[in-house]
Amino acid sequence: MRYAILLLDAPYTSQAAHSALRFTRALLAGGHVVDGVFFYHDGVHNAARLAAPPQDEPHLVDAWAELGREHAVPLQVCIAAALRRGLLDEKEAARHGKQGFSVEPPFELTGLGQLVDLGLRCDRLITFGP
Amino acid sequence: MLLHTLNRSPRSPVLDQVLAAMGPEDRLLLIEDAVIGALPAHQGRFESVTGRVYALHEDLASRGLLALCDEAVRVVDIAGFVALTEECERTVSWY
Repeated sequence: MRYAILLLDAPYTSQAAHSALRFTRALLAGGHVVDGVFFYHDGVHNAARLAAPPQDEPHLVDAWAELGREHAVPLQVCIAAALRRGLLDEKEAARHGKQGFSVEPPFELTGLGQLVDLGLRCDRLITFGP
Repeated sequence: MLLHTLNRSPRSPVLDQVLAAMGPEDRLLLIEDAVIGALPAHQGRFESVTGRVYALHEDLASRGLLALCDEAVRVVDIAGFVALTEECERTVSWY
């Protein structure tokens, strides 16, 4: 089956990011196709490339990035939710005259239309809320 | 048939909303803090959906509740969670 994941909360704030990551890994292990993980609301913080959690804790940002690269899962970040929280990729940082950037591939800033598209295209859309 | 997931403890008013929204065939999966609802003391809250309540093994284990689970609650692991989403037409997440 084709799945999409919607994640609505930041890493280390609630269990949502852990639950979503575990579920997505289980989908891939079960032979399903994951057409995208969409990060929305505070979920955009999962794309923060400067995250530096203690070394004895799971690094959720790196874990998502690794999953995205290894399994070619698109990691789509709502651009409107991201920009207002200070999460900008290189292009947006330049456009807004900001030094440095906080989002990098495999995460991609994208529009809310992508979430609608995922919902229409996939057999299942599973939401992990705060 | 829908799958409902809940991540709030049974004391949360969200549980009332889930129970009111559930259709006669729908299933309820307790995840995260909601697994506290799998304890025998809380089974009265789930009378209307008896036999259709599931709880996530990993979240029970991480809270030390695995051995305390009521026998009316079906324990599924993360692969079982995936299987439930396959079997049910859609999944509604309550939080």
